[in-house]
Amino acid sequence: MRSVDVIIVGASLAAAAAAKRLVDAGLETLIVEKLELPRHKICSGILSPRGYRFLIENFGPLPAQTLHEPTSCRGVTFHFPSMVSMPMDFFGGTTPHLHRKYSDHWAIQRSGAEVQDQTSLLSLEDHGSHVEVTIRKKGGETTTVRARYVIGADGPSSVVRKTLYPEYNKKIPWFFVGQKFHEIIDCPLDEEYFHFWFHPKLGHYTWSHARDGRQIVGVGYKRGDNFQRRHEYVKSYLEDKHGVKLKPADPDHEGCAENFGPSLINRYVLGKGNVLLTGQGAGFLNMIGEGMSCALHSGAISGESIIEAISRNKPVEDTYKRMIVSEIHHTTDQWNPLMIAFGRPHEADFPAALMALSLPDRIKVIKDIWNFLLLYKEFKWGRQIARASLERLFQGTYSSQRWW
Amino acid sequence: MFYTLELPILNIYCGLILEIPEIELGTLPPCPVASDALQGIPRQQTNPSRWQGANWDEFVTALQQDDIEVRQDQGSKGIYLTDAGGMAHGMPNGVVLARSAEQISKLLIYAQNFRVPVTTRGGGLTTEGESVAFGGILLDMTGMSQVIGIDKSELTVRTEAGIFWHRLAEVLRKDGLDYLSAPLNMTSSVGGTLGVGGIDVNSSKYGCSADQAISLQVVTPTGEIIECSDEINSELFQRVILGYGQFGIITVATLRIRSYTPMHMHYFYYRSLRTAITDLHELDKNAVCDYTGILTMMDKAITLLVGFDSKEKEKLFFKKWRRRLHGHGELIFSIRLASYYALHPWRLNELLFLYRRKKTLFPDLQPAHHMQDGAIIDRTVVFSRAVWKHWGHQHMVIPDLATSVDKFVDAVEAGNAVCKKHFRRYTLYCVGIKLRPDHKAHYELSSIPPDAEGFSYGCEFEPVLEDAHYSRDQLQSFKNAIYDVGVELGSSYYRFGGMMKGYIRRALGNKVVDKHLAMKRKADPAMILNRDVIF
Repeated sequence: MRSVDVIIVGASLAAAAAAKRLVDAGLETLIVEKLELPRHKICSGILSPRGYRFLIENFGPLPAQTLHEPTSCRGVTFHFPSMVSMPMDFFGGTTPHLHRKYSDHWAIQRSGAEVQDQTSLLSLEDHGSHVEVTIRKKGGETTTVRARYVIGADGPSSVVRKTLYPEYNKKIPWFFVGQKFHEIIDCPLDEEYFHFWFHPKLGHYTWSHARDGRQIVGVGYKRGDNFQRRHEYVKSYLEDKHGVKLKPADPDHEGCAENFGPSLINRYVLGKGNVLLTGQGAGFLNMIGEGMSCALHSGAISGESIIEAISRNKPVEDTYKRMIVSEIHHTTDQWNPLMIAFGRPHEADFPAALMALSLPDRIKVIKDIWNFLLLYKEFKWGRQIARASLERLFQGTYSSQRWW
Repeated sequence: MFYTLELPILNIYCGLILEIPEIELGTLPPCPVASDALQGIPRQQTNPSRWQGANWDEFVTALQQDDIEVRQDQGSKGIYLTDAGGMAHGMPNGVVLARSAEQISKLLIYAQNFRVPVTTRGGGLTTEGESVAFGGILLDMTGMSQVIGIDKSELTVRTEAGIFWHRLAEVLRKDGLDYLSAPLNMTSSVGGTLGVGGIDVNSSKYGCSADQAISLQVVTPTGEIIECSDEINSELFQRVILGYGQFGIITVATLRIRSYTPMHMHYFYYRSLRTAITDLHELDKNAVCDYTGILTMMDKAITLLVGFDSKEKEKLFFKKWRRRLHGHGELIFSIRLASYYALHPWRLNELLFLYRRKKTLFPDLQPAHHMQDGAIIDRTVVFSRAVWKHWGHQHMVIPDLATSVDKFVDAVEAGNAVCKKHFRRYTLYCVGIKLRPDHKAHYELSSIPPDAEGFSYGCEFEPVLEDAHYSRDQLQSFKNAIYDVGVELGSSYYRFGGMMKGYIRRALGNKVVDKHLAMKRKADPAMILNRDVIF
């Protein structure tokens, strides 16, 4: 049986960050990915400045092929039902519009790790001193590889997480996020910005931005609703209210399941024994749905935790749960109303943009946000968010009892 | 399909080409994102790619045939996994313990031929991974740590460069001698310090540690063994001193020394950084004291340290200078501090921290067993122990700025604001560095700011991390924010750390860096020696 130091499941940005740390430290690292690389990834591709800095400092300058057109994004514009629009520039300057298919693959290659693509994870068995990982190559044989540690970096529908926490998927609300691509007839929306709508009738997560000469119209809603109907409604709304005239959607629409609840209520799944979870698979997702920067950072921390556990002969699960706290703070703070009001947890200044509005507009916006939040009432997150916010205020941290 | 990757990479998948361009060391390709991405800051990859191991086996065989031992077992390599910064982790392919200049010469000749990177390490007290090997050879210089000879009449010492300053002090002390100035740290090596600068609380009198070198034996990146000084092979001397290990490995150094004297220390307390710095400048300009510096607890308790080698000088200070200082004694300062916190009761935790810190730190700066007639009898030991005990942590986070006299207050205040934003508890440590006009050429690529005349001033910004865990990126973000202050003010970075690859062009400009890069390429054709540190 082949033995390696670490197996990383998934060939995502989180996997690349973890692999970079592990390979640098001289650990034999194998990445297994179920799809053929480079693989397609559904994503807005708008990376935060923090994530961009991480990419450059760790992997070097981005090749042009890793970017969509427009290659950069200046910030985010919030739109409200009262027709007030609030543009906010990122603190760090413009950020990359990543072509996830190539950017992820580039980062994986730059990590220097060995990669086995078109390979599915079948099972994990943690024996305490090592983990036996059974994998199968597409059209090939099933093999078992022995690893000292395993990192699950396989996204919101993580197979590794399903193995460790079979009940997880039933315990949290799932959303469907889908996007369609349109040829543009006329689009007054500024293509330098990512546009987001706080509108309860449009859905839980509604966005639009330019990509490679087309306009993306994206919708997010509770799983079970109708994508076609939702999308049509948003498209008509954009035409009626913002003058966005688009041709019918091209056939290459796409969608996926998202778990953007855990970060909001500080509920993370970080792994057990010698198996760690990271990235969105562990519940890391920034507000406005940007998961790439916290995937990079949590991925790197998972790799650092393994190095720390080996060099100090400590259990990796405890080490990871200690070292990941800073990233949990960073991510959960973005959803924390007290931090949003007073702590500037985001990379654009929402309070300043709000205060720049006239008083009547400010009142309209606050009212609109409140109405939008009522959309989430059915999930009963209010008390949990309030409790987490107060814990952060008085204890300086979030309760780790909610990290599984 | 199993595959491993070598650079440059050109992979073809499904008919689409993903090209990863090879980037020549020292160059910065244009950013394809936007000119104002990351506010137009030309960031660089500062966490190097691991060397892929080409020709490693042939290289090791050649070394072994020439009787050079290469340790490749995990145990030997693992102890060099990180440096004092504790953030960069890299594993060499093999470790060589330095034995002689001849052995190092052979090693470098083979490394050039086989294009294997060599990273030198003394005490490993770098903070940005400069002494961490991301593959290749880790050359441990501590194998060369003997004092070769002391000339008591000329007041010089000739020593192997892998020796720690503390050990050198021990040897010199037997003859009633002492080095001039060196980092207050027991495990920094002479060679490493001469390569980056080195400061002490008497640097305002003697200059940085690198300025006390009279001559050096250097092994160049191509394996020549050359003796150099201001008189012979002066160009090499200029490049190697404060040269970040780019132009050669210092194997032996001749240093100026002095007679040993105990140190009489006094502390004065301030509430304003600006006022304390103004007083520090005045004392240094007028050469009033033998030792000066500022040490703070946040910006709440600012302590001006003054020290003397003789009682006469101490008396003169109290007679002529004490009343000109704006600082207070302990009692008056305590009353002022108590009044402040009485009006700010919600900051009680901060007051308790200050009290706790004072109660534990100050006795360690004047321990009874190292005191004689009110003087500290071994400042190296006293300060080094205090540094590790009270500032030591798994991560040594000490970004720093060095500026001319005029810019120093602004730099400290801007850095202080950065500290406040990132950490609840931190300290600042400021000292002056006397510059030698005849060493201007030495300073060209160094941390000494180009606009500094007479004195340069440096400040370290040190978070008190205690038991809290911060991610590598949080600490790196803090360091970057401090370094960005340096760029904005057109200043530089002193000691070790800041003058790293990602900042050198922004701090010194393309003209200076390109000039030195061209010299580096000429001196080190395969670019194997301490790569990725600044180029």
